[in-house]
Amino acid sequence: MEERMNQDQPSTEGRCGRFWNGMDLLKDVTENKHFLPTGLEGVDTLLGGGLRQGQLTEVTGPSSSGKTQFCLHSASHVAAKHMGVVMYLDTSNSFSPGRIATIIDGTPGLFGQRAYGVQLLGFDLQPKDVRLKSIMRNIICESVFDIFALSEVLHQLEVSLLNDKEKNGGSRIRLLIIDSISSLLAPIIGGKYPQGRAMMISVAMTLKKLADEHNLSVLVTNHMVSAGNGAVKPALGESWKAVPHVRLVISRERGSNMCTATVLKHTLLYAAVFSFPPRWFLMYAGQQQQ
Amino acid sequence: MANMPVSEMRLPPHLAHLLAARRLDTAKDVLSLPEVELMAVLDAGLPTARAAVAHVSEAACPPCQTALALLEERVRLGGGGRLATTLCGLDEALGGGIPVGKLTEVVGPSGIGKTQFCLKLALLGALPEYYGGLDGRVLYIDTESKFSSRRMIEIGQKSFPQVFRQEGLAQKMAGRILVTRPTSLTDFTKSLEQMKVTLLQHDVKLLIVDSMAALMSLENERATGFRQHPLRWTLSFLKSIAEFSRIPVVVTNQVRSQSNVDGYHFSFEVDKKDGNNCTGGFDSHLVAALGIQWAHAVTVRLVFESHSGHRFIKVAKSPMSPAVAFPFVVETSGVTLLSDEGIDVTGPEITSIRCQGKNVLAQ
Amino acid sequence: MVVMVLFAISAGPTGSSDLIFLLRTAPALPPRLLIRRPVSRRSSADRPRPASHRSSSAGSARSSGSCCSSSSAPPPPRRRRFLAGGSDAGRAVATRRVLDMGAGENNPLGAQNAWDMLSEEQSQKHITTGSGDLNGILGGGIHCKEVTEIGGVPGVGKTQLGIQLAINVQIPVEYGGLGGKAVYIDTEGSFMVERVYQIAEGCISDILEHFPHSHEKSSSGNKQLQPEHFLADIYYFRICSYAEQIAAINYLEKFLGEHKDVELCIYTSQVRIVIIDSVTFHFRQDFDDLALRTRVLSELSLKLMKIAKAYNLAVVLLNQVTTKFTEGSFQLTLALGDSWSHSCTNRVILYWNGTERYAYLDKSPSLPVASAPYAVTGKGVRDVSSNHKRVRVT
Repeated sequence: MEERMNQDQPSTEGRCGRFWNGMDLLKDVTENKHFLPTGLEGVDTLLGGGLRQGQLTEVTGPSSSGKTQFCLHSASHVAAKHMGVVMYLDTSNSFSPGRIATIIDGTPGLFGQRAYGVQLLGFDLQPKDVRLKSIMRNIICESVFDIFALSEVLHQLEVSLLNDKEKNGGSRIRLLIIDSISSLLAPIIGGKYPQGRAMMISVAMTLKKLADEHNLSVLVTNHMVSAGNGAVKPALGESWKAVPHVRLVISRERGSNMCTATVLKHTLLYAAVFSFPPRWFLMYAGQQQQ
Repeated sequence: MANMPVSEMRLPPHLAHLLAARRLDTAKDVLSLPEVELMAVLDAGLPTARAAVAHVSEAACPPCQTALALLEERVRLGGGGRLATTLCGLDEALGGGIPVGKLTEVVGPSGIGKTQFCLKLALLGALPEYYGGLDGRVLYIDTESKFSSRRMIEIGQKSFPQVFRQEGLAQKMAGRILVTRPTSLTDFTKSLEQMKVTLLQHDVKLLIVDSMAALMSLENERATGFRQHPLRWTLSFLKSIAEFSRIPVVVTNQVRSQSNVDGYHFSFEVDKKDGNNCTGGFDSHLVAALGIQWAHAVTVRLVFESHSGHRFIKVAKSPMSPAVAFPFVVETSGVTLLSDEGIDVTGPEITSIRCQGKNVLAQ
Repeated sequence: MVVMVLFAISAGPTGSSDLIFLLRTAPALPPRLLIRRPVSRRSSADRPRPASHRSSSAGSARSSGSCCSSSSAPPPPRRRRFLAGGSDAGRAVATRRVLDMGAGENNPLGAQNAWDMLSEEQSQKHITTGSGDLNGILGGGIHCKEVTEIGGVPGVGKTQLGIQLAINVQIPVEYGGLGGKAVYIDTEGSFMVERVYQIAEGCISDILEHFPHSHEKSSSGNKQLQPEHFLADIYYFRICSYAEQIAAINYLEKFLGEHKDVELCIYTSQVRIVIIDSVTFHFRQDFDDLALRTRVLSELSLKLMKIAKAYNLAVVLLNQVTTKFTEGSFQLTLALGDSWSHSCTNRVILYWNGTERYAYLDKSPSLPVASAPYAVTGKGVRDVSSNHKRVRVT
């Protein structure tokens, strides 16, 4: 993959202002826009392979439905299986490195099923711990607590991605996760002033641009809020609704570890794929229970 | 301090001008706007908006004390401040009596003795300190026209015969109790607003509202929004009165029968309790008339209830003491405990309000 | 000095076990010492790769941490602040962020990789709740750097738990505690200082029970174990309106900055917990514009998150309950609405189960859903088993 990107280098510069024909786009899609499996089989099948590079995927669900677990899983899997770098922007201090270690450790075929405990920092470092370390060092977490900080981080990310592209022929960052974007956007939208909405749209545009130009897969989480009459709906309203390429709703039965994911919107999958049962039961939270 | 004028905050001049020009006059005006909206209102950048918020916040933030300083102040003001109810067991359980500066609620079915209890408290508030009272005036907000001076004097004469032997003391005591009888919610709100003045003018040492629920007549807590608003306002007003005038505030509350049992579990509990929703076959299922929000706000809750042939005063919520219940009777001398030895109460019994209809009628 | 050692080892050829050793033997140090970036050594020539390779050579001691990863492993990613160094715009932005924080080089909000966070997390101590069972479901107690919401019906013991935490955070380091201070923001007026004194006494008597030899220690050690000492380290704010609540939370950042001890000794004592009892009260009383309330509250929760992370402290929010109509029946739920329900890291619900008080961990990024019994005794929050006799408070 790395090599292919190197070869690809000339075609990726100066995207803006350039006209693309269908063949170019097709080539770009087939060569650069891969699916990044989340490691959750049900979801991967549902999404046609996983989180797509170049696309913005949104996960929404009620509080404590498993959104953060989904993000942690995706981050672990992408880092472990693809040795890609994952940027994790955390707004609610819920990025749990211990949980990441458990997930990586529990991923079959990587380390076997050893339970991960406090002995992690023991004197003897097993080869698999070395592996674990190198995987975990590919997951970068940064805390972001307001929309301005988010804009700055995204700006810096863009600058560094451009630098990487010039110098090294492409970045190793594969996945950008924002958990959760709605808590950053909630204070700024809905007032009588238009600025908040403008900022939201500008963030959305930046995310999409980053995704497309640098072959990132962007995963954001959104809240579910009450829609009146007891029902719930994703937060952030109509103008955000158009932003993500894929919208996924997660729900969890109270007291159970079974999560259900449902696709609300998908721009890529054609009808035939939807003939899959629309609901897949995921066992991913099941690993929480010891 | 929420209404502190921005002009008195000694902000840097450019910020002060900016805020004044946009008619953001008080701390509340500035702080109820999210950052982005403030930027829009001020038509300024993020650093300016943040500086304004930081300055205003620092000025409007109430002063900080250490808990030790609080304790020392409490000691300096004498004894922690309690109004002893003269019911020994109850006083002991409450750490000396009804706490000063806090909201205490008395809840129970009608006819059980809430008003009797309040009358006694009113009398105690008026009594000279020498006899264990607060030696001040008592403001008694009587929404149900139940206050009876005669009954109060009777209670006084029976419980403190040696005190009331003095000539004219009974009249003097009765004269210290200021009763208002608001007939509607608006009346009541008005009288509350005047209260701050009254409290200062008359050296009021105790405030009793009997009963709160009658005014609110909220048959259902779930009717949220508009109807709850006066309740919420009253609630915070009474609490602030208690705190800043350093007086005990006692409020009575009625009960209503609970229409729907499953309204009182968390969703995760429902799975576990499958089919076991009946929380223990009480004689009848009653809840306090003012809903759960009110229950959160009171600091001490005394439940008056009747079961197994007796009436009980139960300390259902108190930061100082575990839940205990005391059997009591209402005599000519008012509420009297049958025993000063409390009965420990556990589990759902603490929050339940029981009422044996037959028993109440019989007495 | 420690930084130098760490760096020397990490730059050495020996591999990771030494580094790990260092991390293990230095748990008493504040984590920020371990993560301090040795700026002056940034261009150390020992690095196995040329400085121009990828991004830049700038790296923290933690991300350039060691060379245990074989050469096939990718070079660790850097803080993008330096990674963006080529661009003036990027640098300007970075500088501003440093200024924003005021903390200079030790910006705790900067990017970190998961491995470093893991080792940091494992050296963290948690604030005990007083009940072993409760600590069990919380993964050892209340975690620093996280926002924990505790809700429950009236009288179930929210305030008691809040006061208990304000006391327990002060258990001195030599007795296994954090030796920190507490900020208590009281919006309801339910903070009874006599009760705080009792709980402090209860805590001290438990410490002495567990460490029977402690009275042989020097008098300075005993001086710490006085209830007055515990009370003096609780900063109390009495809040009377929602505007004051917002003001207090905004001011908190400055307050914490002023009360942060610069000394890096082991007994460094700084605020390690902020308790808001309750976050709900004033927002439920007098906020008419519900949409605005949602926006203000979500901004508030982000500020609390930021404080928790930046000052390495635990934020505990006590919340009230309300009834809500869902799935055809009325159920209890925590107040302030759906939007607020997303804005905490952990959520614990206290409830009655039969005759016992139970805590239910409703939300946590790292721990399974679980419940455990606890008891409120005269001494404070304790395990149920140790509480067959209720102590009557007089």
